[in-house]
Amino acid sequence: MLTVVLQQGINGIVFGSLYVLVALGLTLIYGVLVQINFAHADVVTIGAFAAYFFTFAFGGNYLISIGIALMAGAALGWLVNAAIFAPLRERGNELLPLIATIGVSILLQNAMLLWFGPIPYAFDSPYSNKVIRLWGGTFITLQNLIIVVVSALTIALLYAFMKFTFMGKALRAVSQDRETAGLMGVNPNQLIMLTFVIASALAGMGGAMLGPILVLTPFAGTTVIVKAFAIVIIGGFGNVEGTIIAGLVVGLIESYTTQFVNPGLTDIVVFTLLLLMLALRPTGLIAEKREENV
Amino acid sequence: MIASGPATAAQARPTGAGAFFCGAGLHKRFGGVQAVRDISLTVPRGGVFAIIGPNGAGKSTLLNLMSGLYQPDAGRMIFDGVDLVGLPAHKRVRLGLGRTFQKIRLFKQLSVLGNVIAAFHIHHDIPAWQYVIHGAAFERDHARCRAEAIKLLDFVGLEARASVLAASLAYGEQRMLELARALATSPRLLMLDEPAAGLNAADVERLVERIRILRKRGMTIIVVEHNMDLVMKIADRVLVMDYGQYLFEGTPLEVQANSAVIAAYLGA
Amino acid sequence: MPTDRVRISRRGWFLVVAVIIALLPFVIQDSYWRTNLIVCAINIMLAIGLDLLVMKLGVPFWMAFVFGMVLSGAAGMALSIFAVRLRGHYLAIASLGFAVIVHQVLLNWISLTQGPLGIYAIKPPPDIALPGLPVISFGNTANMFYLVASFAFLFYLLLDQLVRSPIGETLKAIREDEISASAFGINCTAWKVFAFGIGSAVAGAAGAFYASFVGTLVPDAFIITESFTILAMVIVGGMGTLIGPVWGAILLTILPELLRGFGDLRLILYGAALTLVVLFMPGGIAQAAQMFRARLGRLATATDAGMRQ
Ligand SMILES: Nc1ncnc2c1ncn2[C@@H]1O[C@H](COP(=O)(O)OP(=O)(O)OP(=O)(O)O)[C@@H](O)[C@H]1O
Ligand SMILES: [Mg+2]
Repeated sequence: MLTVVLQQGINGIVFGSLYVLVALGLTLIYGVLVQINFAHADVVTIGAFAAYFFTFAFGGNYLISIGIALMAGAALGWLVNAAIFAPLRERGNELLPLIATIGVSILLQNAMLLWFGPIPYAFDSPYSNKVIRLWGGTFITLQNLIIVVVSALTIALLYAFMKFTFMGKALRAVSQDRETAGLMGVNPNQLIMLTFVIASALAGMGGAMLGPILVLTPFAGTTVIVKAFAIVIIGGFGNVEGTIIAGLVVGLIESYTTQFVNPGLTDIVVFTLLLLMLALRPTGLIAEKREENV
Repeated sequence: MIASGPATAAQARPTGAGAFFCGAGLHKRFGGVQAVRDISLTVPRGGVFAIIGPNGAGKSTLLNLMSGLYQPDAGRMIFDGVDLVGLPAHKRVRLGLGRTFQKIRLFKQLSVLGNVIAAFHIHHDIPAWQYVIHGAAFERDHARCRAEAIKLLDFVGLEARASVLAASLAYGEQRMLELARALATSPRLLMLDEPAAGLNAADVERLVERIRILRKRGMTIIVVEHNMDLVMKIADRVLVMDYGQYLFEGTPLEVQANSAVIAAYLGA
Repeated sequence: MPTDRVRISRRGWFLVVAVIIALLPFVIQDSYWRTNLIVCAINIMLAIGLDLLVMKLGVPFWMAFVFGMVLSGAAGMALSIFAVRLRGHYLAIASLGFAVIVHQVLLNWISLTQGPLGIYAIKPPPDIALPGLPVISFGNTANMFYLVASFAFLFYLLLDQLVRSPIGETLKAIREDEISASAFGINCTAWKVFAFGIGSAVAGAAGAFYASFVGTLVPDAFIITESFTILAMVIVGGMGTLIGPVWGAILLTILPELLRGFGDLRLILYGAALTLVVLFMPGGIAQAAQMFRARLGRLATATDAGMRQ
């Protein structure tokens, strides 16, 4: 019994760290822009396909393919910001960019459908079969270990970037208080572009590592992104630490629900939690209740 | 008779006798700012009651407490015998409290006439079903509202602008529309937050004129103003606030002669 | 040519359902509430869920229709009590979460919905036999079209009257400035709940028609992207007007058909078109039409003036 609990805990953390990678991107973008990028899902998918084609079509190394996916994601993020969010920024409407990115998402998904077809790809990582035994009869595949280690390293790097570099500090400042950005003398357009590139790079590499776990179709990213939305809310929009914790918690909840309740109910549990959360704290974990200055 | 002044919360019992509006021991804090500190005021029925004070003295906050946009941290308010505390803003309107905003808050994408009609919200007399199948009662109400709205626009001098978007009005016109809109609720106590801000001399003259007419009709008016000239002309009583606190209350002449008030204004 | 005629009326039918659905947003148009559109669109799924319940219980169509409307109206209002507390994107995500839950419940509640297989052979509305006239059967797509079209028209008329009443001003006032609205005696929460209820009731009606027209109900029928398509109709048509969403619905229902010639490229073009509209015509068709009319008007007065000279 304890073994099962531990084993599911490990699996939960594996999934959780991938969710964190994807959700962090959404939360970073929300922090600086107060916008939702619906095409973030397709960045994940494209990351997964980039890694797939690099390893299989060209016989590349899987670890390097994660880097390739990262770059593919970054490039796509740059494109989405330049083409959609930058031109729409002046309009000051919170819904228009969301709808525009839904359009982009439909476009990208169907373009991928045209090229890659609807049949799921079997993306087997060479590390999936290597099993590392841990204590108490639990184990972790080398692939999953790579996922956890790479995610943890990436998150640590991101953290260090935000703590110790000027741009990172500016980014943090903007997420906390939009007005200070101007005071810091940072060019907001550069900051936003940087955020998009980082966020999408995270999603791309998340895709590369999700590829072997998920059913890899042109729609693979959507299933993940819906959960990432939930995580972002539970963690508090724009809040990095909250997102990391929420991502891991959601991964664990899923894993335990699958094991002890019913695999079909995982989404119901996660999203009921989300709604409960919102019912109790309408603006997320971080309360921002304030009387408007009339 | 008109007893306002610094009072501790314990003493602060709105007596209400002869008073139309009575607030006692009102407090409101925003984070580190104590915007209103222990303010008590008694506004008699009829006449013009002015509230003055330097910028940030808490005048607007006091009006917001009275109209229900903020809830006080402590204190009581009685309006014409009804306890206001806890009552949401939209219900206070039905009791007869009307107001304008210092930072103009018109419905920008509605026409000038539309703004006034929206403010008739509590006065419609239409059976529910006639909202979707317009019948005689609907037409009657519609005609009445339009006529009244045009009368109000005429009163503030905007009749010629009835069909343009509120957003396209000049600043002074927007102030006057704020007034017309507040009057559409048929308030018994009208609260004006800096109605003369940004008006030219002629417009101020017109405003003074309008306020006098309203007063003659028996409306009770509270006006927050920086324009001392206007206050001296129309106010019966003046309450002076500084740093959220009571500083002085009296007739305009008394206020003008009071050294503490002069110090607050010159010192600030 | 009979097949052709059937195709056309079928297409027209879809169009009309879309119109009904797209009527929702007029009540929900303020900047904060724009996001609520998503909730309303998603209510359709809820509506279908409830309609499904009614259908499964073997209730006659017209009863199901009324039930569907009342139930989803009530559910919409219940949901809105929760929703009025949320702002902007929180509301959008909450709706998304709600949609996922409804979808998953339908998928997992096999005894009711037969899970992913769905329910088949849902009957069309019963025939109408008027004395002296031939029996009107709704198995016939053309008749079905007229039935739904007339309901769409009826809803449009009623809602149009509603926005032309003082309620129109009330809702617009809430959209413009809630604080200001409350200072004029408007109970913003109550009116939002009202708007939600109406929107959901109309969606419930659309759901009942949808189920009986398509004849099958699969929980996937209205997946999340579908709800966004409805939102897209509103955006493309133009928010804040009643006629805008109608045009949006017509266009976005016909567009994929028109693009059919492009084969696999169709949905790619659809996505591109949606993006381009948002980028270059954010006011939608309604605004474009308004500008066009204004220009025509100026042109007319200009030539008028020219002629008088
Ligand atoms: N909603 C709010 N949130 C935070 N602080 C507020 C809020 N409303 C008012 N304040 C603060 O309370 C203090 C009093 O403000 P208030 O607007 O009442 O002053 P005022 O006397 O109306 O000044 P003015 O003459 O400039 O209009 C100010 O320091 C203001 O910044
Ligand atoms: Mg003020």
